[in-house]
Amino acid sequence: MEAVTQVRTVCRSCHGGCGVIAHVKDNKVIKVEGDPSSPISHGTLCAKGLAITQLVYHPDRITHPMKKTDAGWARITWDEALDTIANKFKRVIAEYGPESIVVSQGTGRDYESHLYRFANLLGTPNVLTAGHMCYVSRVASTLITCGTLPVADYMGGPKLIVLWGVNPLWTNPDEYKGEVFWQAYEKGAKLMVVDPRKGFTAEKADLWLQIRPGTDAALVLGFHSVIIEEELYDKEFVANYVHGWDAFKDRVKEYSLDRVQEITWIDKNLIRQAARMYATTKPAAIHWGVPTEQTNNCVSYTRAATGLMAITGNLDAPGGNALFVNPPTRTVAEFAQHKALSPEQQKKRLGGEQFKLGARVALINPKKAWDAMLTGKPYPLKAGILCGTNPVVTRANAKEAYAALSKIEFLAVIDFFMTPTADLAHIFLPSGTWLEQNHIADNWKRHGYVLARQKAVQVDECWQDHKIFMELGKRMGQQWWDTVEQALDYLLEPAGITWEQFKDKGYLRGEMVYHKYKQRGFSTPTKKVELYSTIMEKWGYDPLPKYVEVPESPISKPEVAKKFPYILDAGLRTPTFFHSANRQVPWLREIREFPIVEIHPATAQKHNIAEGDWVYIESPRGRIKQRARLNEGIHPQVIVAEHGWFYPEMKEDGHGWNISNVNLLTDNAYETLDPAMGSTNLRVCLCNIARCDDA
Amino acid sequence: MNRVSLYIDKKNCMGCHACEAACKQEHGLGVGPQLVRVIEKVPQFIPIYCHQCGNAPCKRACPVDAIVTNDLGIVLVVKENCIGCRECVPACPFGAMQFDEKTALALMCDVCIHRLAEGKAPACASVCATHCISIVGTQKKTAAVFERAAA
Repeated sequence: MEAVTQVRTVCRSCHGGCGVIAHVKDNKVIKVEGDPSSPISHGTLCAKGLAITQLVYHPDRITHPMKKTDAGWARITWDEALDTIANKFKRVIAEYGPESIVVSQGTGRDYESHLYRFANLLGTPNVLTAGHMCYVSRVASTLITCGTLPVADYMGGPKLIVLWGVNPLWTNPDEYKGEVFWQAYEKGAKLMVVDPRKGFTAEKADLWLQIRPGTDAALVLGFHSVIIEEELYDKEFVANYVHGWDAFKDRVKEYSLDRVQEITWIDKNLIRQAARMYATTKPAAIHWGVPTEQTNNCVSYTRAATGLMAITGNLDAPGGNALFVNPPTRTVAEFAQHKALSPEQQKKRLGGEQFKLGARVALINPKKAWDAMLTGKPYPLKAGILCGTNPVVTRANAKEAYAALSKIEFLAVIDFFMTPTADLAHIFLPSGTWLEQNHIADNWKRHGYVLARQKAVQVDECWQDHKIFMELGKRMGQQWWDTVEQALDYLLEPAGITWEQFKDKGYLRGEMVYHKYKQRGFSTPTKKVELYSTIMEKWGYDPLPKYVEVPESPISKPEVAKKFPYILDAGLRTPTFFHSANRQVPWLREIREFPIVEIHPATAQKHNIAEGDWVYIESPRGRIKQRARLNEGIHPQVIVAEHGWFYPEMKEDGHGWNISNVNLLTDNAYETLDPAMGSTNLRVCLCNIARCDDA
Repeated sequence: MNRVSLYIDKKNCMGCHACEAACKQEHGLGVGPQLVRVIEKVPQFIPIYCHQCGNAPCKRACPVDAIVTNDLGIVLVVKENCIGCRECVPACPFGAMQFDEKTALALMCDVCIHRLAEGKAPACASVCATHCISIVGTQKKTAAVFERAAA
């Protein structure tokens, strides 16, 4: 019997970042607590992080490699598993070329450095992630506009906070957690919330703009319209640091408040009031979320929102949207060896010619991958390795994702549990949770910190994802390090510190300097904020932001709306789950036993639906069921459904992936995607509802 | 008398349920008993928890004196005396009194008295991102309780 030791580490139950103290006894984590010394979370921790021990020691967790046999899944050794994958990959490379292998991850889990290095050294340009519509799309759009991602500077003392399609208290807010938002709010910052749904933050807000789902790009252009008309912009900044102001002003003229009111369903006087509040309350910080990216207007919204920050003098200003300086570690891009991928292979990236901004950040759109698997065009994807991703549940048009992943010749999956996606695999590799790994956390984020995630325990034969890519890479003849920690030393080298030293230190922070553009301009071709993008122009896209109507709405598809009269908002988050994760964790599932669909009471009454009833939600693509919750805080024509649902307790293949999975309703057709980024419109489509009497 | 209690500022509860997970972990509870829980009436969230009532109705309802006010002024269930009759459950005006089907005993919030003794906030309060959970009782009295708990 050993004494209890305490290991200081960093959570990754979402994208992670919160400081944790893990209590370890006899190589078992018996408890986790928030780390009060964490610069990110200050001792707070959410339900997902707090329930981690129930995930780590869950009876259903797979803790050794397996292969699928005619008699079902069978335990194998790591050697056999990795050799099987390597031999298959070698055969595919010899016969079809490395581009016929897809390497994939889901949401950001701090291993993209290793995953991309593996793919680049393999020679495949086909890396499939959530990044086309989540975060990376934000990074890419701001990269071409102002050089890097502007992050809400909560610690810098904003006087106004704009939460645009985000609830940092409930869900993963990437750079900064809900707690620092709250600190800034408690210090007296005004609050503006753009959300189709009245949640906690909308209830607190000084101004709540109840937007029609998917029309954010029109609203942001409406803000510009007021700010330009009333000359509320920072004239000096615009004169010195904006490229294409006149062309941008002309474009904004197309967005009169009357038009924006009609598009967004927000009263034009409220839009005017909000735009004035944003332009005149300084500093003001905009914190925006994925609903703005998971649309056909992803790049336009993000670029126009960056424009708002710029022309009001809030860009790289304390308390505004800062361009944080990261500590001098090696970047994910450098570690990933993007340069090792030959121009010839880069050219073969699926959809690379169509979605040039997506290609610029080295990723592909899932529809392109499914097409290549299903049709063999433009060339077949024959094999794949999927790490921490469950596209059968989390990508648009789930039916197609399921069909494609059923058809691919060979699939290896890295995960904690059997999932509807893992069910389709041939090899299962068990990965270690965040309590079972050494890594430099948050190295990919843009808040100016890197954090020491320290291994607390080893669980059975599980390997941290990084090690899996290293060892598989070595079998493919790639150059890697002997140990995980040597690779971390390499990442830390420019900061003049080793992993052992970093572990003790806990975190590094970059030396923050604001208003860097005054010395060196912005990192764009013109050195200015490119409201008119020279890069988009060169690539042949519209160089100016605009709003294109939601692909499937009562306006764009009135015929479809006759049968499907409601607007489905298909992405309600919960504070207990993260995308499709955690539904097997008892403490969390007890809090949220069933998927919830929110319906306005008047709409519910029309359909004879009562609180708690099972409800069918149907779109032109499929039908699912979730349980009704009545909410007066949504528009009567809007239905808000939870995403990410399958039922781990159903043990048969598929785990009930087609019962409540909202992505059976969403669409992924090419005309619904962002033209430059390939972002999927994962959020908004048409639907109908009916009480489910046979549930 | 001393009265130390949790206080949850309802208007700042954002319904994240972190308090529930923290409480389960701290007390080693499985699915079932919820010593603190949050009911969602979006956009309102209603925390349900033991208020440490004076002249506590749960205590009055108990036929066998298994609910006592200890020498620190904290109302607690004495497991050894509990007969599992559930009389205390409906007696609680807040719906906070729990019944653990596994042990067949009544179960209530103990204000994380073991953590108070170490100078730490209760588990639920320690993780709350809006800091809406606190311990009330006059500062002097609270300090005195901690001191005696530590002794």
